[in-house]
Amino acid sequence: MEEQHAIEVTDLVISYQNLKKTSIKKSLLHFKRRTIDRFVAVKGISFYVRQGEILGIIGKNGSGKSTTLNALAGIFSPDSGTIDLKGHSISLLSIGVGFQGEMTGRENIILSGMLLGFSEEQVHAKEQDIIDFAELGDFIDKPVRTYSSGMYSKLAFSITAILETDIMLIDEVLSVGDQKFKKKSYNKMKSLISNKDRTVVIVSHSIDTLKQLCDTVMWMHEGQIKKIGEPGPVLDEYVKFMEKS
Amino acid sequence: MFKRFMDDMKKYWKYAVYSSRAQLKSEIANSYLNWLWWILDPLCFMLIYVFMFGYVFKSDEQYFAIFVFIGITMWDFFNRCLLQSVRVIKSNKPIVSKVYIPKFILVIIRMCINGFKMFISFLIVAVMLIVWRVPITWNILYCIPILLTLFMLVFGFGCFLLHYGVFVEDLGNVLNIALRLIFYLTGVFWNIMDRLPAPYNAYIGKGNPIAFLLTSMRECLIYGQTPHRKLLLAWFLIGLVISIIGIRKIYKNENSYVKVI
Repeated sequence: MEEQHAIEVTDLVISYQNLKKTSIKKSLLHFKRRTIDRFVAVKGISFYVRQGEILGIIGKNGSGKSTTLNALAGIFSPDSGTIDLKGHSISLLSIGVGFQGEMTGRENIILSGMLLGFSEEQVHAKEQDIIDFAELGDFIDKPVRTYSSGMYSKLAFSITAILETDIMLIDEVLSVGDQKFKKKSYNKMKSLISNKDRTVVIVSHSIDTLKQLCDTVMWMHEGQIKKIGEPGPVLDEYVKFMEKS
Repeated sequence: MFKRFMDDMKKYWKYAVYSSRAQLKSEIANSYLNWLWWILDPLCFMLIYVFMFGYVFKSDEQYFAIFVFIGITMWDFFNRCLLQSVRVIKSNKPIVSKVYIPKFILVIIRMCINGFKMFISFLIVAVMLIVWRVPITWNILYCIPILLTLFMLVFGFGCFLLHYGVFVEDLGNVLNIALRLIFYLTGVFWNIMDRLPAPYNAYIGKGNPIAFLLTSMRECLIYGQTPHRKLLLAWFLIGLVISIIGIRKIYKNENSYVKVI
Protein backbone atom coordinates (compact mmCIF):
# COMPACT_ATOMS: atom_id res chain seq x y z
CA MET A 1 0.00 0.00 0.00
CA GLU A 2 1.27 3.43 -0.84
CA GLU A 3 1.83 5.80 2.01
CA GLN A 4 -0.14 9.02 2.19
CA HIS A 5 2.18 11.97 2.43
CA ALA A 6 0.88 15.09 4.13
CA ILE A 7 3.92 17.24 3.46
CA GLU A 8 6.47 16.86 0.73
CA VAL A 9 9.51 19.10 0.64
CA THR A 10 12.03 18.94 -2.18
CA ASP A 11 15.33 20.79 -2.46
CA LEU A 12 14.19 23.60 -0.24
CA VAL A 13 16.55 26.57 -0.22
CA ILE A 14 15.82 29.66 1.80
CA SER A 15 18.20 32.57 1.97
CA TYR A 16 18.06 36.05 3.32
CA GLN A 17 19.69 37.83 0.44
CA ASN A 18 19.56 41.20 -1.25
CA LEU A 19 16.84 42.14 1.13
CA LYS A 20 18.76 44.59 3.19
CA LYS A 21 16.72 47.56 4.08
CA THR A 22 17.81 50.79 2.51
CA SER A 23 16.76 54.33 3.01
CA ILE A 24 16.87 57.10 0.49
CA LYS A 25 19.21 59.04 2.75
CA LYS A 26 21.63 56.12 2.99
CA SER A 27 21.66 55.39 -0.71
CA LEU A 28 22.39 59.04 -1.42
CA LEU A 29 25.26 59.19 1.04
CA HIS A 30 26.82 55.82 0.35
CA PHE A 31 26.19 55.50 -3.29
CA LYS A 32 28.74 52.89 -4.19
CA ARG A 33 29.36 51.09 -0.97
CA ARG A 34 26.29 48.91 -1.02
CA THR A 35 27.08 45.47 0.16
CA ILE A 36 24.93 42.52 -0.56
CA ASP A 37 24.13 40.52 2.51
CA ARG A 38 23.56 36.93 1.72
CA PHE A 39 22.86 34.34 4.31
CA VAL A 40 21.60 30.93 3.34
CA ALA A 41 19.58 29.55 6.21
CA VAL A 42 18.34 26.33 4.61
CA LYS A 43 20.56 24.68 2.02
CA GLY A 44 18.52 22.40 -0.18
CA ILE A 45 16.75 19.95 2.10
CA SER A 46 14.24 17.31 1.02
CA PHE A 47 11.97 15.31 3.27
CA TYR A 48 8.40 14.18 3.58
CA VAL A 49 5.99 13.71 6.43
CA ARG A 50 3.40 10.94 6.29
CA GLN A 51 -0.23 11.52 7.13
CA GLY A 52 -0.61 11.35 10.91
CA GLU A 53 3.11 11.28 11.53
CA ILE A 54 4.81 13.34 14.21
CA LEU A 55 8.10 14.78 13.03
CA GLY A 56 10.51 16.36 15.48
CA ILE A 57 13.19 18.74 14.30
CA ILE A 58 16.25 19.24 16.45
CA GLY A 59 19.48 21.13 15.94
CA LYS A 60 21.59 23.86 17.48
CA ASN A 61 20.60 27.51 17.34
CA GLY A 62 20.69 28.97 13.85
CA SER A 63 20.56 25.63 12.09
CA GLY A 64 17.47 26.64 10.10
CA LYS A 65 14.78 24.85 12.12
CA SER A 66 12.46 27.78 12.59
CA THR A 67 13.07 29.01 9.07
CA THR A 68 11.94 25.65 7.74
CA LEU A 69 8.86 25.80 9.91
CA ASN A 70 8.00 29.30 8.74
CA ALA A 71 8.39 28.16 5.16
CA LEU A 72 6.02 25.26 5.78
CA ALA A 73 3.50 27.71 7.21
CA GLY A 74 3.70 29.77 4.03
CA ILE A 75 5.14 32.83 5.72
CA PHE A 76 8.48 32.64 3.93
CA SER A 77 8.74 31.81 0.29
CA PRO A 78 11.38 29.32 -0.81
CA ASP A 79 14.17 30.68 -3.00
CA SER A 80 14.10 27.40 -4.83
CA GLY A 81 12.57 23.99 -4.30
CA THR A 82 8.96 23.19 -3.52
CA ILE A 83 6.72 22.58 -0.56
CA ASP A 84 3.61 20.53 -1.22
CA LEU A 85 1.00 20.44 1.53
CA LYS A 86 -1.52 18.44 -0.50
CA GLY A 87 -4.20 20.99 0.26
CA HIS A 88 -4.16 20.57 4.04
CA SER A 89 -4.92 23.43 6.39
CA ILE A 90 -1.97 24.42 8.49
CA SER A 91 -1.29 26.49 11.59
CA LEU A 92 1.87 27.62 13.28
CA LEU A 93 1.91 27.65 17.04
CA SER A 94 4.61 29.76 18.53
CA ILE A 95 4.70 32.31 21.30
CA GLY A 96 2.28 35.13 20.56
CA VAL A 97 -0.01 34.50 17.63
CA GLY A 98 -0.69 37.68 15.71
CA PHE A 99 -2.85 39.80 17.96
CA GLN A 100 -3.89 43.38 17.45
CA GLY A 101 -3.27 45.20 20.70
CA GLU A 102 -6.11 47.69 20.49
CA MET A 103 -8.78 45.05 20.03
CA THR A 104 -10.40 42.91 22.66
CA GLY A 105 -9.50 39.28 23.20
CA ARG A 106 -12.83 38.20 21.80
CA GLU A 107 -12.30 40.10 18.56
CA ASN A 108 -8.82 38.73 18.29
CA ILE A 109 -10.14 35.19 18.60
CA ILE A 110 -12.42 35.74 15.63
CA LEU A 111 -9.75 37.46 13.58
CA SER A 112 -7.09 34.83 14.27
CA GLY A 113 -9.57 32.08 13.48
CA MET A 114 -10.52 33.68 10.20
CA LEU A 115 -6.86 33.98 9.27
CA LEU A 116 -6.40 30.28 9.99
CA GLY A 117 -9.00 29.62 7.32
CA PHE A 118 -12.17 29.17 9.38
CA SER A 119 -15.38 30.99 8.67
CA GLU A 120 -16.78 33.50 11.14
CA GLU A 121 -19.55 31.07 12.12
CA GLN A 122 -17.13 28.21 12.74
CA VAL A 123 -15.06 30.39 15.03
CA HIS A 124 -18.17 31.65 16.82
CA ALA A 125 -19.14 28.05 17.47
CA LYS A 126 -15.84 27.38 19.21
CA GLU A 127 -15.43 30.82 20.75
CA GLN A 128 -16.76 29.78 24.16
CA ASP A 129 -14.48 26.73 24.31
CA ILE A 130 -11.48 28.93 23.61
CA ILE A 131 -12.48 31.46 26.25
CA ASP A 132 -13.08 28.70 28.80
CA PHE A 133 -9.80 27.03 28.02
CA ALA A 134 -7.82 30.27 28.24
CA GLU A 135 -9.22 31.09 31.72
CA LEU A 136 -9.08 34.82 31.13
CA GLY A 137 -12.32 35.76 32.87
CA ASP A 138 -13.45 39.34 32.27
CA PHE A 139 -10.26 40.21 30.47
CA ILE A 140 -11.59 38.60 27.33
CA ASP A 141 -13.51 41.83 26.59
CA LYS A 142 -10.57 44.11 27.34
CA PRO A 143 -8.00 45.21 24.74
CA VAL A 144 -5.18 42.71 24.32
CA ARG A 145 -2.54 45.36 25.05
CA THR A 146 -3.67 45.31 28.70
CA TYR A 147 -2.85 41.61 29.04
CA SER A 148 0.07 40.26 30.96
CA SER A 149 2.48 38.15 28.97
CA GLY A 150 1.09 35.00 30.59
CA MET A 151 -2.47 35.84 29.61
CA TYR A 152 -1.30 36.67 26.14
CA SER A 153 0.34 33.32 25.59
CA LYS A 154 -2.57 31.48 27.22
CA LEU A 155 -4.98 33.02 24.73
CA ALA A 156 -2.66 32.37 21.82
CA PHE A 157 -2.25 28.77 22.85
CA SER A 158 -5.98 28.23 23.33
CA ILE A 159 -6.82 29.55 19.89
CA THR A 160 -4.49 27.23 18.05
CA ALA A 161 -5.28 24.30 20.33
CA ILE A 162 -9.06 24.52 20.05
CA LEU A 163 -9.24 25.46 16.38
CA GLU A 164 -7.73 22.28 15.05
CA THR A 165 -6.03 22.29 11.68
CA ASP A 166 -4.90 19.25 9.66
CA ILE A 167 -1.24 20.05 10.10
CA MET A 168 0.14 21.67 13.21
CA LEU A 169 3.55 23.28 13.35
CA ILE A 170 4.86 23.76 16.85
CA ASP A 171 7.79 26.00 17.58
CA GLU A 172 9.13 25.18 21.04
CA VAL A 173 5.81 25.85 22.75
CA LEU A 174 4.21 22.77 24.19
CA SER A 175 2.93 24.40 27.31
CA VAL A 176 2.48 27.95 28.55
CA GLY A 177 1.39 29.83 31.64
CA ASP A 178 1.66 28.97 35.31
CA GLN A 179 2.09 25.51 36.79
CA LYS A 180 -1.57 24.59 36.59
CA PHE A 181 -2.10 25.85 33.07
CA LYS A 182 1.16 24.29 32.00
CA LYS A 183 -0.10 20.87 32.93
CA LYS A 184 -3.46 21.44 31.28
CA SER A 185 -1.95 22.79 28.08
CA TYR A 186 0.62 20.04 27.91
CA ASN A 187 -2.09 17.39 28.19
CA LYS A 188 -4.18 19.15 25.58
CA MET A 189 -1.19 19.30 23.29
CA LYS A 190 -0.45 15.65 23.80
CA SER A 191 -3.99 14.62 22.97
CA LEU A 192 -3.91 16.82 19.87
CA ILE A 193 -0.61 15.45 18.74
CA SER A 194 -1.49 11.81 19.28
CA ASN A 195 -4.64 12.10 17.17
CA LYS A 196 -4.11 9.59 14.36
CA ASP A 197 -5.16 11.93 11.55
CA ARG A 198 -3.15 14.92 12.57
CA THR A 199 0.24 15.59 11.09
CA VAL A 200 2.54 17.44 13.43
CA VAL A 201 5.95 19.03 13.06
CA ILE A 202 7.64 20.00 16.32
CA VAL A 203 10.76 22.09 16.69
CA SER A 204 12.27 21.64 20.11
CA HIS A 205 15.48 21.51 22.10
CA SER A 206 14.06 19.12 24.63
CA ILE A 207 15.40 15.63 24.00
CA ASP A 208 12.87 14.06 26.36
CA THR A 209 9.85 15.62 24.69
CA LEU A 210 10.96 14.56 21.25
CA LYS A 211 11.73 11.04 22.42
CA GLN A 212 8.32 10.77 24.02
CA LEU A 213 6.16 12.24 21.26
CA CYS A 214 7.79 11.80 17.88
CA ASP A 215 7.68 9.03 15.32
CA THR A 216 10.61 10.44 13.40
CA VAL A 217 13.30 12.94 14.28
CA MET A 218 15.16 15.12 11.84
CA TRP A 219 18.48 16.61 12.91
CA MET A 220 19.39 19.79 11.15
CA HIS A 221 22.88 21.17 11.12
CA GLU A 222 23.83 24.43 9.40
CA GLY A 223 20.93 24.36 7.00
CA GLN A 224 21.23 20.73 6.04
CA ILE A 225 19.76 17.48 7.22
CA LYS A 226 22.43 15.66 9.14
CA LYS A 227 20.30 12.68 9.97
CA ILE A 228 16.67 11.63 9.83
CA GLY A 229 15.10 8.49 11.24
CA GLU A 230 13.94 6.75 14.43
CA PRO A 231 14.00 9.11 17.44
CA GLY A 232 16.26 6.89 19.61
CA PRO A 233 19.41 6.61 17.48
CA VAL A 234 19.21 10.09 15.99
CA LEU A 235 18.78 11.77 19.35
CA ASP A 236 21.59 9.73 20.95
CA GLU A 237 23.94 10.75 18.20
CA TYR A 238 22.82 14.37 18.48
CA VAL A 239 23.53 14.40 22.21
CA LYS A 240 26.98 12.93 21.65
CA PHE A 241 27.70 15.44 18.93
CA MET A 242 26.64 18.39 21.07
CA GLU A 243 28.75 17.23 24.00
CA LYS A 244 31.83 16.90 21.83
CA SER A 245 31.61 20.34 20.25
CA MET B 1 -3.24 36.12 -11.37
CA PHE B 2 -6.76 37.46 -11.80
CA LYS B 3 -8.25 34.22 -10.57
CA ARG B 4 -5.96 34.14 -7.58
CA PHE B 5 -6.93 37.70 -6.76
CA MET B 6 -10.64 36.89 -6.91
CA ASP B 7 -10.17 33.76 -4.79
CA ASP B 8 -8.22 35.69 -2.20
CA MET B 9 -10.78 38.45 -2.15
CA LYS B 10 -13.55 35.95 -1.60
CA LYS B 11 -11.63 34.18 1.11
CA TYR B 12 -10.43 37.24 3.00
CA TRP B 13 -13.18 39.78 2.33
CA LYS B 14 -15.03 38.87 5.51
CA TYR B 15 -11.82 39.09 7.46
CA ALA B 16 -11.20 42.58 6.07
CA VAL B 17 -14.68 43.74 7.00
CA TYR B 18 -14.54 42.26 10.48
CA SER B 19 -11.09 43.66 11.09
CA SER B 20 -12.09 47.15 9.93
CA ARG B 21 -15.15 47.11 12.14
CA ALA B 22 -13.17 45.98 15.15
CA GLN B 23 -10.54 48.64 14.56
CA LEU B 24 -13.12 51.38 14.21
CA LYS B 25 -14.72 50.21 17.43
CA SER B 26 -11.43 50.13 19.28
CA GLU B 27 -10.60 53.63 18.04
CA ILE B 28 -13.67 55.12 19.65
CA ALA B 29 -13.55 52.94 22.73
CA ASN B 30 -10.54 54.88 23.97
CA SER B 31 -11.69 58.46 23.79
CA TYR B 32 -14.37 60.37 25.67
CA LEU B 33 -16.08 61.95 22.72
CA ASN B 34 -16.14 58.60 20.94
CA TRP B 35 -17.57 58.61 17.45
CA LEU B 36 -18.21 62.33 17.64
CA TRP B 37 -14.58 62.74 16.61
CA TRP B 38 -15.36 61.41 13.16
CA ILE B 39 -17.66 64.40 12.73
CA LEU B 40 -15.78 66.95 14.83
CA ASP B 41 -12.46 66.42 13.12
CA PRO B 42 -13.43 67.45 9.57
CA LEU B 43 -15.88 70.01 10.92
CA CYS B 44 -13.23 71.84 12.93
CA PHE B 45 -10.80 71.90 10.03
CA MET B 46 -13.53 73.24 7.82
CA LEU B 47 -14.17 76.10 10.26
CA ILE B 48 -10.47 76.93 10.33
CA TYR B 49 -10.19 77.01 6.55
CA VAL B 50 -13.43 78.92 6.11
CA PHE B 51 -12.17 81.52 8.55
CA MET B 52 -8.69 81.71 7.01
CA PHE B 53 -9.65 81.74 3.38
CA GLY B 54 -13.18 83.03 3.48
CA TYR B 55 -12.53 86.03 5.71
CA VAL B 56 -8.80 86.65 5.91
CA PHE B 57 -7.97 85.99 2.25
CA LYS B 58 -11.46 86.84 1.02
CA SER B 59 -12.28 83.93 -1.18
CA ASP B 60 -15.47 84.45 -3.13
CA GLU B 61 -16.48 80.88 -4.01
CA GLN B 62 -20.16 80.16 -3.89
CA TYR B 63 -21.12 77.94 -0.91
CA PHE B 64 -17.57 78.20 0.35
CA ALA B 65 -18.13 76.07 3.46
CA ILE B 66 -19.41 73.10 1.44
CA PHE B 67 -16.70 73.70 -1.13
CA VAL B 68 -14.03 73.36 1.57
CA PHE B 69 -15.76 70.49 3.34
CA ILE B 70 -15.89 68.30 0.22
CA GLY B 71 -12.23 69.10 -0.33
CA ILE B 72 -11.18 68.11 3.17
CA THR B 73 -13.29 64.97 3.14
CA MET B 74 -11.80 63.55 -0.02
CA TRP B 75 -8.31 64.77 0.69
CA ASP B 76 -8.30 63.17 4.15
CA PHE B 77 -9.23 59.83 2.68
CA PHE B 78 -6.52 60.02 0.05
CA ASN B 79 -3.89 61.32 2.45
CA ARG B 80 -4.58 58.87 5.29
CA CYS B 81 -4.79 55.81 3.07
CA LEU B 82 -1.46 56.53 1.42
CA LEU B 83 0.38 57.40 4.62
CA GLN B 84 -0.91 54.28 6.34
CA SER B 85 -0.11 52.06 3.37
CA VAL B 86 3.60 52.83 3.67
CA ARG B 87 3.69 51.47 7.20
CA VAL B 88 1.01 48.84 6.89
CA ILE B 89 3.33 45.83 6.89
CA LYS B 90 5.33 47.06 9.84
CA SER B 91 2.29 47.96 11.88
CA ASN B 92 0.81 44.52 11.26
CA LYS B 93 4.02 42.69 12.03
CA PRO B 94 2.46 40.36 14.62
CA ILE B 95 0.04 39.05 12.02
CA VAL B 96 2.30 39.07 9.01
CA SER B 97 4.99 37.09 10.78
CA LYS B 98 2.66 34.40 12.11
CA VAL B 99 0.25 33.54 9.35
CA TYR B 100 -0.15 33.95 5.62
CA ILE B 101 -2.38 36.75 4.45
CA PRO B 102 -2.46 38.32 1.00
CA LYS B 103 -0.82 41.62 1.84
CA PHE B 104 -3.06 43.85 -0.26
CA ILE B 105 -5.87 42.90 2.12
CA LEU B 106 -4.13 45.13 4.65
CA VAL B 107 -4.48 48.07 2.25
CA ILE B 108 -8.13 47.22 1.78
CA ILE B 109 -8.66 47.23 5.54
CA ARG B 110 -7.17 50.72 5.78
CA MET B 111 -9.39 51.82 2.89
CA CYS B 112 -12.48 50.42 4.60
CA ILE B 113 -11.68 52.26 7.82
CA ASN B 114 -10.94 55.58 6.15
CA GLY B 115 -13.77 55.02 3.70
CA PHE B 116 -16.21 54.72 6.57
CA LYS B 117 -15.02 58.02 7.99
CA MET B 118 -15.35 59.58 4.56
CA PHE B 119 -18.87 58.22 4.33
CA ILE B 120 -19.80 59.97 7.58
CA SER B 121 -18.32 63.20 6.26
CA PHE B 122 -20.37 62.88 3.11
CA LEU B 123 -23.49 62.52 5.23
CA ILE B 124 -22.59 65.90 6.71
CA VAL B 125 -22.13 67.24 3.19
CA ALA B 126 -25.64 66.04 2.39
CA VAL B 127 -26.99 67.87 5.43
CA MET B 128 -25.12 71.01 4.43
CA LEU B 129 -26.50 70.82 0.89
CA ILE B 130 -29.99 70.78 2.33
CA VAL B 131 -29.40 73.51 4.92
CA TRP B 132 -27.81 75.88 2.37
CA ARG B 133 -30.61 75.05 -0.07
CA VAL B 134 -28.21 74.18 -2.85
CA PRO B 135 -30.14 73.34 -6.04
CA ILE B 136 -29.71 69.61 -6.62
CA THR B 137 -29.65 68.10 -10.12
CA TRP B 138 -29.35 64.59 -11.47
CA ASN B 139 -25.67 65.27 -11.94
CA ILE B 140 -25.32 64.40 -8.28
CA LEU B 141 -25.23 60.74 -9.33
CA TYR B 142 -21.78 61.32 -10.81
CA CYS B 143 -20.41 61.14 -7.30
CA ILE B 144 -20.53 57.32 -7.63
CA PRO B 145 -18.12 56.95 -10.58
CA ILE B 146 -15.96 59.67 -9.05
CA LEU B 147 -15.67 57.75 -5.80
CA LEU B 148 -15.00 54.48 -7.64
CA THR B 149 -12.15 56.16 -9.50
CA LEU B 150 -10.80 57.49 -6.23
CA PHE B 151 -10.89 54.01 -4.66
CA MET B 152 -9.18 52.47 -7.65
CA LEU B 153 -6.38 55.03 -7.65
CA VAL B 154 -5.85 54.88 -3.90
CA PHE B 155 -5.73 51.08 -3.98
CA GLY B 156 -3.16 51.12 -6.77
CA PHE B 157 -0.95 53.71 -5.08
CA GLY B 158 -1.44 51.92 -1.77
CA CYS B 159 -0.15 48.62 -3.17
CA PHE B 160 2.98 50.30 -4.51
CA LEU B 161 3.62 52.14 -1.27
CA LEU B 162 3.09 48.96 0.74
CA HIS B 163 5.75 47.22 -1.32
CA TYR B 164 8.38 49.96 -1.27
CA GLY B 165 7.57 50.92 2.30
CA VAL B 166 8.96 47.58 3.41
CA PHE B 167 12.34 48.04 1.79
CA VAL B 168 12.86 51.79 1.97
CA GLU B 169 12.95 52.95 5.56
CA ASP B 170 12.39 56.65 5.10
CA LEU B 171 9.79 56.44 2.37
CA GLY B 172 7.27 57.71 4.91
CA ASN B 173 9.15 61.00 5.32
CA VAL B 174 9.46 61.52 1.58
CA LEU B 175 5.81 60.72 1.09
CA ASN B 176 4.87 63.21 3.78
CA ILE B 177 6.64 66.00 1.92
CA ALA B 178 5.28 64.88 -1.45
CA LEU B 179 1.75 64.75 -0.10
CA ARG B 180 2.06 68.24 1.35
CA LEU B 181 3.07 69.52 -2.08
CA ILE B 182 0.17 67.69 -3.69
CA PHE B 183 -2.09 69.11 -1.01
CA TYR B 184 -1.35 72.64 -2.15
CA LEU B 185 -1.66 71.62 -5.79
CA THR B 186 -5.04 70.06 -5.18
CA GLY B 187 -7.01 73.10 -4.22
CA VAL B 188 -8.61 71.83 -1.06
CA PHE B 189 -9.58 75.35 -0.04
CA TRP B 190 -9.24 77.27 -3.28
CA ASN B 191 -10.25 76.79 -6.86
CA ILE B 192 -7.21 75.84 -8.95
CA MET B 193 -8.92 76.78 -12.16
CA ASP B 194 -9.33 80.42 -11.06
CA ARG B 195 -6.25 80.95 -8.96
CA LEU B 196 -3.48 79.55 -11.15
CA PRO B 197 -2.32 81.27 -14.37
CA ALA B 198 -3.76 80.05 -17.64
CA PRO B 199 -1.98 77.01 -19.06
CA TYR B 200 -0.86 75.62 -15.69
CA ASN B 201 -4.27 75.45 -14.08
CA ALA B 202 -5.42 73.01 -16.75
CA TYR B 203 -2.27 70.90 -16.44
CA ILE B 204 -2.65 70.53 -12.71
CA GLY B 205 -6.43 70.40 -12.72
CA LYS B 206 -6.39 67.44 -15.09
CA GLY B 207 -3.00 65.88 -14.48
CA ASN B 208 -3.30 65.68 -10.72
CA PRO B 209 -5.92 62.96 -10.23
CA ILE B 210 -6.97 63.98 -6.78
CA ALA B 211 -7.38 67.60 -7.86
CA PHE B 212 -9.44 66.49 -10.83
CA LEU B 213 -11.65 64.21 -8.73
CA LEU B 214 -12.14 66.90 -6.13
CA THR B 215 -13.14 69.49 -8.69
CA SER B 216 -15.48 67.04 -10.40
CA MET B 217 -17.13 66.17 -7.10
CA ARG B 218 -17.77 69.83 -6.36
CA GLU B 219 -19.10 70.42 -9.86
CA CYS B 220 -21.64 67.64 -9.63
CA LEU B 221 -22.69 68.17 -6.01
CA ILE B 222 -22.72 71.94 -5.61
CA TYR B 223 -22.82 73.52 -9.03
CA GLY B 224 -25.02 70.98 -10.83
CA GLN B 225 -22.55 70.47 -13.66
CA THR B 226 -21.52 67.34 -15.50
CA PRO B 227 -17.91 66.39 -14.84
CA HIS B 228 -15.46 65.68 -17.66
CA ARG B 229 -16.58 62.12 -18.40
CA LYS B 230 -13.78 61.03 -20.73
CA LEU B 231 -11.11 62.21 -18.36
CA LEU B 232 -12.86 60.47 -15.49
CA LEU B 233 -12.88 57.23 -17.43
CA ALA B 234 -9.22 57.72 -18.32
CA TRP B 235 -8.23 58.15 -14.69
CA PHE B 236 -10.28 55.12 -13.74
CA LEU B 237 -8.42 53.02 -16.30
CA ILE B 238 -5.07 54.40 -15.14
CA GLY B 239 -6.04 53.44 -11.60
CA LEU B 240 -6.96 49.98 -12.78
CA VAL B 241 -3.61 49.50 -14.52
CA ILE B 242 -1.69 50.75 -11.48
CA SER B 243 -3.68 48.40 -9.26
CA ILE B 244 -2.97 45.40 -11.47
CA ILE B 245 0.75 46.13 -11.56
CA GLY B 246 0.70 46.72 -7.82
CA ILE B 247 -1.06 43.44 -7.05
CA ARG B 248 1.34 41.56 -9.29
CA LYS B 249 4.27 43.16 -7.50
CA ILE B 250 2.86 42.18 -4.13
CA TYR B 251 2.15 38.60 -5.17
CA LYS B 252 5.69 38.24 -6.41
CA ASN B 253 7.36 39.63 -3.31
CA GLU B 254 4.98 39.32 -0.38
CA ASN B 255 6.61 36.31 1.22
CA SER B 256 9.92 38.10 1.43
CA TYR B 257 8.55 41.00 3.46
CA VAL B 258 8.80 39.07 6.70
CA LYS B 259 12.49 38.52 6.18
CA VAL B 260 13.10 42.26 6.12
CA ILE B 261 10.97 43.67 8.92
